[in-house]
Amino acid sequence: MSPQANIEPRHYDVIRSPVITEKATAQSEENKVVFNVAKTATKPQIKEAVEKLFDVKVKSVNTLVRKGKVKIFKGRKGVQSDVKKAVVTLEEGQRIDITTGL
Amino acid sequence: MQVTETQAEGLKRAYTVVLPAAELDAKAQDRLVELKDKVKINGFRPGKVPVAHLKALYGKSVMAEVIEQAVTEANGKIIEENSLRLALPPKVELPQAEDEVKAVIDGAADLTYTVELEVLPKIELGNFKEISIEKPVAIVADEEVDDTIKRLVDANRPFSAKDGAAATGDRITVDFVGSIDGVPFDGGAGEGVPVVIGSNSFIPGFEDQLVGMSAGEERTINVTFPTNYLSEQLAGKDASFAVKASAVEAPGDLTIDDEFAKSLGLESLDQLKQQVRERIAKEHEGATRQRVKRQLLDALDASHKFDVPPTLVSQEFDGVWQQVQSDLAQQKHTFADEGTSEDEARAEYQRIAERRVRLGLVLAEIGERNNIQVSDDEVTRAVVERARQFPGQEQQVWDYYRRNAQAMASLRAPLFEEKVVDFLLELANVTEKQVTREELYKEEEEKAA
Repeated sequence: MSPQANIEPRHYDVIRSPVITEKATAQSEENKVVFNVAKTATKPQIKEAVEKLFDVKVKSVNTLVRKGKVKIFKGRKGVQSDVKKAVVTLEEGQRIDITTGL
Repeated sequence: MQVTETQAEGLKRAYTVVLPAAELDAKAQDRLVELKDKVKINGFRPGKVPVAHLKALYGKSVMAEVIEQAVTEANGKIIEENSLRLALPPKVELPQAEDEVKAVIDGAADLTYTVELEVLPKIELGNFKEISIEKPVAIVADEEVDDTIKRLVDANRPFSAKDGAAATGDRITVDFVGSIDGVPFDGGAGEGVPVVIGSNSFIPGFEDQLVGMSAGEERTINVTFPTNYLSEQLAGKDASFAVKASAVEAPGDLTIDDEFAKSLGLESLDQLKQQVRERIAKEHEGATRQRVKRQLLDALDASHKFDVPPTLVSQEFDGVWQQVQSDLAQQKHTFADEGTSEDEARAEYQRIAERRVRLGLVLAEIGERNNIQVSDDEVTRAVVERARQFPGQEQQVWDYYRRNAQAMASLRAPLFEEKVVDFLLELANVTEKQVTREELYKEEEEKAA
C-alpha cells in the first residue's frame, strides 16, 4: 500500500463525512463506501483522497449532487446547501471501517 | 461465575466474584438484539439497524448496563445459595482502576469484584409469658378537673375597659418601639400588643414599669435584657422602650358556671366537667401506655442478648447524634451544661443506638414469627390522620404518601410496633397498680431523661 507520508491537508478537505444509512450499509456489503464530499471535489480527487487516507485501492467513483431543500423557519424561506455524495467502489476484499476515526 | 468467600466472621461476610468475559459478552449481545427493534437511529428505518452498527454506537453503555445486571444477579445467587438474611443492601466494590474498567467494557477481561454483606443475627426469642409488667393507672381526681377548668377560665377571662391607671392584673394594649443606645433594633417594635401585667410574658422589668399607665399615656421605660436571653445580640444590653398605651382593661370576674360553659360552646357546667375529665383520662392513658411500653422494652432488651450488625448501629448512632447536636445548638448549651462530657455522651448514645437496633430487630422477628401484619386499611387511616393535621392540603398529603414508599414505610413502622407491643402485652403478666397523677408523670420524666 502507498505510504502514509503522502497525505496532504487537501486530502482531508475533500472528504467530509461518511454516510450512514440503510442504503449505505447495504452497499458496504458490496464493497462500496459512501461519503459526503466537498462540492468542488472531482472524481479523480476523491479517488486519490480515499486511497491515501484509508490505505485502500479504489476501483471507481460515482458522484451525485443532492440539491438542497427549501425550508421555512419562522415564516422565512431558506434553502439548505447542496450536498455531493460519492459512492466509492473498492477493489475486492478491501474494507474501510467507517466508525473508526479519520 | 466463581465465588470465593474471603471473610466470614461475626456478622460480616465478604465474597470475591469473577464473571467471565464470555458470559458478559453473550449477555450484551442479547441485549443489543433486544434493542435493535426498539431504537430509532437517524438514517435507518425502525428495526433495520444492523447489530454491528448498534454495537459500535451503543456498545459501551449496553455493556455497563449488562455488568450492573450481572452483578445484582450474582449477588442474588450468593444470598440464595448461602441462605443469608441481609441486614443492609450489599456493598459492592468494583475495580476502580480505569484501564481495568475499560478492558472489561471492551469485553477483553473478566469482571472481578468484591461484595460485602452484613447478615442479620439469628434471634432466639425468649418466653414472653415470663415478663411481668406493672401497669400504673392513675384516676382522675376532682381537683384536677377543677384546676383545668380554672386555667380555662383564666385564658378566656373577659376584660372590660376601665378608666384610670393600670394596676397589676390589668391588661394594657400597647405600641412600643425598643432601641438600644438610641438605635431601634429588630423585633423590638410592636403595635397593639396586649400585655397582662403580672403574667411575666415579657422580660422582667418591662411589665412592672407599665403599672400606673392610663390610656393614651406615653412613657419611656428602661430595661436590661437578661444575660441568658435567647437572642445574643440583645442579651445583657440596656434598652429603652418608648411605650404608648392605647387601652387599659380590667379583668372581669371569673365565675365557673353554666354561662361560662355556654361561652365555650357546651351546654352546661357538668358537660364541661365531663369533657375535661375525659381529656385528662386520655392523657393519663397515654402516659400509662408509655410506661408500660418502656417496661416491656426493657424486659425484651434484657432477655435478648445477641450481636448487632455494626453498620446498623452506626447508622442509628449518627442519626441520634445529629439530633442531639442540633438540639444543643438550638438551646445554645454545650455538653458541660448538661453535666456530661462529650465522650460520656457519645458512649451513652452508642448504647442507646445499640438498644434501639436490638429492639427493632427483636420486634421485627416477633412480628414475623407470629404473623403480625399492618393491614392497608390501618395505613390508610394513619394517612388520613396525618392529612387532618394539614387542613387545606389534604390532597397533597395523600399524593405524597402514595408516591413515596419510604414515607409509607415510616408510617407503617410505628403501627407495626404498636401491634407487636399489644400482642406481647397480652401474653405477659400485667398487674395493675393505682398511682397518683404526680407519680405517673414524674417517673415518666425521670426515665426519659
